[in-house]
Amino acid sequence: MTRVLIALSVGASVLLAACGGTSVAGNPSTGGPAVITPPAAALTGAGATFPAPFYDAARFAYNQKFSQVTVNYQAVGSGAGIQQLTKKLVDFGASDVPMNATELTAAGGSDAVVQIASTLGTESMAFNLSGVSNGQLKLTPKTIAGIFLGTIKKWNDPALAADNSGVSLPNQAITVVHRSDGSGTTYIFTDYLSTVSADWKSKVGKGKSVSWPVGQGASGNAAVATRITQTPGAIGYVELAYVLQTNMTQASLQNHDGQFVIPSPEGATAAASQFLAVNPTQFSIVDAPGQKSAPISGYSWLMLYKDQADKTKGTALVDYLDWLVTDGQQYAANVHYAKLPSNIVKDDINSLKTVTSGGTALLPSSVAAPS
Amino acid sequence: MSRGTAERVVSAPLVAASHQRRFVLGDRIFRAIAYGAALLIMVIAVIFLIALVIPALPAMTKFGLGFFTSRTWDPVRNQFGALAAIYGTLVTSAIALLIAFPIGLGAALFLAEDARLSLLRGPLSFLIELLAGIPSVVIGLWAFFILTALMRDKVDPFLQHTLGFLPLLKGTPSGYGFLTASLVLAIMVLPIMIALSRDVIRAVPRELREASLALGATNAETIWSVILPYARVGITGAVLLSLGRALGETIAVTMVIGNTMQISASLFASGYTLPSVIANEFTEATGNVYLGSLFYLGVVLVLITIAVNVLARLLIWRFTGSGRAAA
Repeated sequence: MTRVLIALSVGASVLLAACGGTSVAGNPSTGGPAVITPPAAALTGAGATFPAPFYDAARFAYNQKFSQVTVNYQAVGSGAGIQQLTKKLVDFGASDVPMNATELTAAGGSDAVVQIASTLGTESMAFNLSGVSNGQLKLTPKTIAGIFLGTIKKWNDPALAADNSGVSLPNQAITVVHRSDGSGTTYIFTDYLSTVSADWKSKVGKGKSVSWPVGQGASGNAAVATRITQTPGAIGYVELAYVLQTNMTQASLQNHDGQFVIPSPEGATAAASQFLAVNPTQFSIVDAPGQKSAPISGYSWLMLYKDQADKTKGTALVDYLDWLVTDGQQYAANVHYAKLPSNIVKDDINSLKTVTSGGTALLPSSVAAPS
Repeated sequence: MSRGTAERVVSAPLVAASHQRRFVLGDRIFRAIAYGAALLIMVIAVIFLIALVIPALPAMTKFGLGFFTSRTWDPVRNQFGALAAIYGTLVTSAIALLIAFPIGLGAALFLAEDARLSLLRGPLSFLIELLAGIPSVVIGLWAFFILTALMRDKVDPFLQHTLGFLPLLKGTPSGYGFLTASLVLAIMVLPIMIALSRDVIRAVPRELREASLALGATNAETIWSVILPYARVGITGAVLLSLGRALGETIAVTMVIGNTMQISASLFASGYTLPSVIANEFTEATGNVYLGSLFYLGVVLVLITIAVNVLARLLIWRFTGSGRAAA
């Protein structure tokens, strides 16, 4: 909101900014910190599909505030996003898993790219069992691993029944549904299974696509969700946003502290706040300790080059990303994503401050995380 | 009239000479354009093949021909093999043709031959063209939302009840799998099969039909021993074009085949096809070997398509050869 006022109060400087310069103005009404009015630019990004609804809502809101900046985002998948960034076809890339050492080398070295966490999501175990309502089915790390390894084949399996006294589980085959397309959702889920199950870690492992021991694949969260809804006895991992939007029934999941929780954005924030030192190489937040933590949670990431060739564009880009991880976070809740914890926002802003063009930092050093 | 002709005859050499000059120039330009167009096609084909093989090289050097015989597809451990996807592609296409061929040929014969229901012919032809024009993703949507449930609740249990002793029909039907994918493919290739076969059958010379009928053959005998033998080259062509379409179909199959990298005798089991794997995994495929394996699958698919085309040529040569010998 302050940004809008400032944008209006320094309307004249917008003209200057449009010429390619950057103007920094103090907030005249409150005497608050200096705020940038971004120069006119058209920014393009490409990558992950998982946070796309949030990015779309956020870029629209940003354009409403700063009409001279347009942001395009193509949800082509994390892998394609990383490749397009590496080839410098886009200004920023997005991925549910940060770029690894090999990808960074291809992009010009580990120091060439800045990676920031942009949003936080969590996953649900959605299922289709007549007579079992939302949150009634209780799943433990052990039973989830058993179902996806194929050792638990029926709903009335003793292992499931032990955790679900009072729930009538039918003598019905379990149909496992997983993603067939490579996805960050799958990465976070298999990361979770690898963390809680040694068997899974040794037999399958974690990745955006894996060799599934059982089940059928469907392409995208929406198709997985539809297939579960259509198939009696089905279960699958689905991004929370899709579960809430389509009113699917989901299970209560036992977290690291032994509590059963129904996954929620608050649960994701609770899980994330347990990990203070998250960075592009240590980013896993699955199976988090804490009473309220949702166990299958993860960050989504944005990548940009540290040295921006085009100063005007670079200035607009870091300003947009600075806004996205601060004020822009309010748009996450509308589409069922969780707000970034404040320590991560601080890390993000510090990372953005390292972005330069011709040796000059693009984000003013006065910019700070909201307290 | 005669005078005019005489004049033209007199001036003919002159006119012809100037015509010829213009003609030669026009001819040259035309020839250049035609050669250019032909050359362009070749250049595009070569560039395409190179562009397909180069990114596939990391996988080709790592897996070699073992790629064709391995059924492992494990992106975590970077181990890839195409066997399950090749199997799925061939099986779904073959079953689709088995379903579509008799229906397609029957419909084509009806449209081309039977005059009694000629009122139906117009609307039917229109419907077939309409079916051919439906984008595959729409057919896929319909199959995903409606056909799969129908297969799971009605068709598959019926098949299992009546023919359940066959190993082809064992297992729990889920609605997704080889059979549903084959059925979708059959629906998609039917319009091609019908339209091409109909045109081929219509092209059978009238004299042959009439001669056969005049010799006392019935309609059925005429169709069986005169029309179909005459049209078989064209019908073979129709079948192979349909096969080409079925082999390469991606989106509609991806939506109903179940996307599981496995080889199973049961038609109710879920599987995978070459185009489906590529479509599903390329967006998140990172690393040279993984992406290379997807390109390698593309190479395999192109090789299968080429093999189908070569087979088509051979069959047609054989048929036309023996046809001439018989005549």
